[in-house]
Amino acid sequence: MELSICESIVSLDTIMKAHAVIKDHVNLTPVMRSTALNSIAGKTLYFKCECFQKSGAFKFRGASNAVFSLDEAQAAKGVVTHSSGNHAAALALAAKIRGIPAYVVVPNSAPKCKVDNVKRYGGHVIFSEATMKSRQETANKVLSETGAILVPSSNDARIISGQGTLSLEFLDQAPELGTLIVPISGGGLISGVVVGAKSRNPAIRVLGAEPKGADDAAQSKAYGRLITLSHTNTIADGLRASMGDITWPIVRDLVDDIITVEDTEIIEAMRYCYEIFKVVIEPSAAIGLAAVLSNNFKKNPLWNCSQNIGIVLSGGNVDLGVLWESYGLQGHNLFGDN
Amino acid sequence: MEDKKYAADIDSITKAHALIKPYVHITPVLSSETLNSIAGKSLFFKCECFQKGGAFKFRGASNAIFSLDEEQAAKGVVTHSSGNHAAALALAAKLRGIPAYIVIPKNAPKCKVENVKCYGGQIIWSEATMQSREETANKVLHETGAVLVHPYNDSRIISGQGTLSLEFLDQVPQLDTLIVPISGGGLISGVTIGAKSMNPAIRVLAAEPKGADDAAQSKASGRIITLPQTDTIADGLRASLGDLTWPVVRDLVDDIITVDDKEIVEAMRYCYEVLKVAIEPSGAIGLAAVLSDKFKRNPAWKDSRNIGIVLSGGNVDLGVLWESLNN
Repeated sequence: MELSICESIVSLDTIMKAHAVIKDHVNLTPVMRSTALNSIAGKTLYFKCECFQKSGAFKFRGASNAVFSLDEAQAAKGVVTHSSGNHAAALALAAKIRGIPAYVVVPNSAPKCKVDNVKRYGGHVIFSEATMKSRQETANKVLSETGAILVPSSNDARIISGQGTLSLEFLDQAPELGTLIVPISGGGLISGVVVGAKSRNPAIRVLGAEPKGADDAAQSKAYGRLITLSHTNTIADGLRASMGDITWPIVRDLVDDIITVEDTEIIEAMRYCYEIFKVVIEPSAAIGLAAVLSNNFKKNPLWNCSQNIGIVLSGGNVDLGVLWESYGLQGHNLFGDN
Repeated sequence: MEDKKYAADIDSITKAHALIKPYVHITPVLSSETLNSIAGKSLFFKCECFQKGGAFKFRGASNAIFSLDEEQAAKGVVTHSSGNHAAALALAAKLRGIPAYIVIPKNAPKCKVENVKCYGGQIIWSEATMQSREETANKVLHETGAVLVHPYNDSRIISGQGTLSLEFLDQVPQLDTLIVPISGGGLISGVTIGAKSMNPAIRVLAAEPKGADDAAQSKASGRIITLPQTDTIADGLRASLGDLTWPVVRDLVDDIITVDDKEIVEAMRYCYEVLKVAIEPSGAIGLAAVLSDKFKRNPAWKDSRNIGIVLSGGNVDLGVLWESLNN
């Protein structure tokens, strides 16, 4: 495995160090299986339920590693980030646990429940426009004003190493896994997971799953250079980001392939998760199951060769207002006004 | 506690545990600091919504099915059920390779009926009253010679459900209180007998909808009370106690809390949005009880620190959610 480019940045070593830093703070999430889903997929599927992670998504791993790695001087000014949701809340929570301020730039298109989570965890919310440019500019402004440490949502060695701890757990819980399918957005999760997994089991295959309406990673892989999209169109609100200069080389060199799926497939997979699994996931988290159930996957011998497939259910922060309205519950804030 | 007086004991529960072990899931226990904060207690959620068939009912159904000798099994099994027991019995019967005749009341949720079909159960419809359910089941019994497996008033069912308490106390030995949904009393009977055998100091609280509070009324008046009709969103909690479940509820269950439907739906919302677990309304009632003013203000429960709550099942119609996402 060619790790020369990233060895000094992310490696099994940095992931194991992250594991030691965060293990008292994160949940060891369960791996669940379903006979019914195995039947439908024609495979043995293992679901790593990161929707049960603190703050409702795997992002808490990387955020904790970043926050708890800071020395006292760095930590004192707090942390700042820009995020469409789960990283925002994760960072706010990690900062709250450490007792330092968190400044979170949130695009005005972010789902309400994700913004509510940030507030609930004591994060200071600053809104930006819904473009990468505006997010970055607003974050830089806050950084200048507060002196806080910037903690990006994916393109950061501490973040990637934190996310990588997931693969150590997953392979401990299910050593027989032959393939992993991981949602891909900025590439933080899949980068950590692929480095961790392939260090432990060089034969394991790691596939990315991406919405067709935000297929920058698939295009980048196909063309061999980093491609970013001017805008995206997908229900999977957590999968709209582009890769960065740390995540792209890892995806380029170590991720075996990327499967793209339609929004309708994402929703169908989401429905299977709720109705068969009884697990509440957000659209972005359903993409791994959507990928394994897609015709493209079933027809591709390069992808469907493993019997034992590990899927990351990345998060469960989703607006369910329409469900509660149907039960006659008015859409008030679940945690009181704040 | 004199075990021999009741329809199940730690022995029958332990035997059930060994019998059904190859077939059931050991369901996880989840907890949430957010919910602990809101409740002011340490809450532990036993996620039976992740059980096979989507509810705890599969435990009792498996015990009943796999206890049958070859001759009994050959004619199949019959039951009447508003949902989760129906699917559980159909699934267990399918695993054993025997027929399952399921009498279902007309008002049963669509998803629960679908489950029965998925598992190969043969459906016979009845009216939505206890009387009609029982009469139709008896008719089928006579026609087929199948073995009747009652949804709750059956010692094999009670013992099967009791296996939940063995797991739960293994997973969280520090539990001092359990809160369990109550309908016909099968679950709470098995759980109370199992839990109090393992830890005599543990207390067990039942949770019931106000609109189906027959168990609470029975406990208060000291005799079985049945209601002519019920009115609650918790479709799995409409049944009345039976002659096997009532004595356990009367003697061993410490108290019963009733909650209204609004509290049930709010608790359901917490489960989805904080725990990320998709439960049915009946499954939310334990959390509704622990969050209710009644519980918080009752001095009898102020010393409860580590509370185990059974999330009994997750079979619920979510059509409105999928329609909105697809639009």
